[in-house]
Amino acid sequence: MTDFLQNSVDGLAAGASYSLLALGFTLVFGVLRRANLSYGPAIMLGAYAATWASLHFHAGLFVLFPVMLAASVLAGAYVERLAFAPHRAGSAITAMVASFALWMQFEELATLVLPGHLYAFPPLHEGGPLAVGSLTIRVEALVMIGVAVAACGALWGLLYRTRFGAAVRAVIDNPVAAGLSGISVPAISIRIFALASAIGAVAGFLIVAAQEQVTPMLGMWSTLKGLLAMMLGGLGSLPGAVAGGLALGLLEAHSQWYLGPQLRDFLAYFLLFVLLAARAPWMNTRSAS
Amino acid sequence: MLEIRDLVTAYGTIEALKGVSLDIAPGSITCLLGPNGAGKTTLMMTIAGVLRPRRGTVKFQGEDIAGRAPDAIVSRGIALVPENRLVFPSMTVLENLHAGAYQRRDDLAPDIERLFGRFPRLKERSAQLAGTLSGGEQQMLAVARALMSRPRLLLMDEPSLGLAPLVVEEIFRTIAELHRDGTTIFLVEQNAHMALQVASHFFLMEQGRVTFSGNPGSLAEDEVIRRAYLGA
Repeated sequence: MTDFLQNSVDGLAAGASYSLLALGFTLVFGVLRRANLSYGPAIMLGAYAATWASLHFHAGLFVLFPVMLAASVLAGAYVERLAFAPHRAGSAITAMVASFALWMQFEELATLVLPGHLYAFPPLHEGGPLAVGSLTIRVEALVMIGVAVAACGALWGLLYRTRFGAAVRAVIDNPVAAGLSGISVPAISIRIFALASAIGAVAGFLIVAAQEQVTPMLGMWSTLKGLLAMMLGGLGSLPGAVAGGLALGLLEAHSQWYLGPQLRDFLAYFLLFVLLAARAPWMNTRSAS
Repeated sequence: MLEIRDLVTAYGTIEALKGVSLDIAPGSITCLLGPNGAGKTTLMMTIAGVLRPRRGTVKFQGEDIAGRAPDAIVSRGIALVPENRLVFPSMTVLENLHAGAYQRRDDLAPDIERLFGRFPRLKERSAQLAGTLSGGEQQMLAVARALMSRPRLLLMDEPSLGLAPLVVEEIFRTIAELHRDGTTIFLVEQNAHMALQVASHFFLMEQGRVTFSGNPGSLAEDEVIRRAYLGA
């Protein structure tokens, strides 16, 4: 029972970061109906900018965070301008392939500036975990859950309490009708990319600071986890993205404990396969019309 | 008010508009008739900026607006009530109305009060999600949303499509009222008999071209209606 609770706490913490990654992915998918493969690499580029600042100026986390945020947002806006804005009316595949090309570009850029395989990142928390009854709880896990809850609340407020948020929801509902209502869809689109990158950067920052290391693999890892969590929760639903992220975190933590690390990733993908094959009711499995 | 000249819009290599020219006088109700596939919706979508024309001009109050983005066209005073309504289904009725006034920064409350007076059903359902409304209510909402931008020219694409006869009458009563209040209206309608009762002028479109124009009550009316329905 203690093991189960301990795994659940660890899984929720990992799941909180997956939820944030999935939220960013879902915003872009909802507004553009396009998958942005270089979502994760843009976060990775931000982490590299922060690592570079850490190596050269020994800056603290309070400086590194805005550096990472700014670099990720810029990279996200760059992706929108280059890979998505030119193909707005074109095919979804064209934009996806273009975003893959930028993924390669970002990885090349990162490894040119910092060619090592692995770099240290300043820790989120120094000192040991907290003991709560028979459980040991890492402070990093608490920070991750707290930040994720706060970020979800802020995003909800932005989407449901502001004029910008209403415009975003209108574009998600029907881009043609949004344009006819006087909303500039291109202007919303680039802001959404910037916002998605910012949310991703918050998740990525917590992840690299909790793991105290940065590798170029962070890009692919973030895209895969975000995509997987988004699909588990049903494509394009924001509450679904949060639920999918938490489910993925819990599933990974428990399967790693009971089945071992080899089966951990396998189980997550297998679950997605089963849910898609069974056409789970919350998933958008209708064929395109 | 609106002068369209030699407008060509194509989907790939297929030209849906093959050089359309027509004029709409300020303060009029102009009706566009024609069989399915004649290009009526394509013309509306091109005027509203959703589709970009290959060639030709669309002059609104002297300015060529052909090829501009939809939001730029709304800001000039043109609003389209699109075919099939296209309300925002996961937003409330009130949020839909606010979205229609996205470019306005002034107080919306008087406009919303007036529209609720005209469409009492929308007031009753103002907090309800638009996707849960009936077809007729959604059509009312689509008209009200377009009016929230305070257009000088209102384009309406098949506002009576799929609606019960009583609701259709309500829609046409609304069109007549809007016209009395000074809005110029350009209407696509399959329901030719209803449309010609309110219209001051009409055009017939066939296979991407304007083939006839005239006034209701003229001798050619029966012939035009026959061609609009039968496409012959």
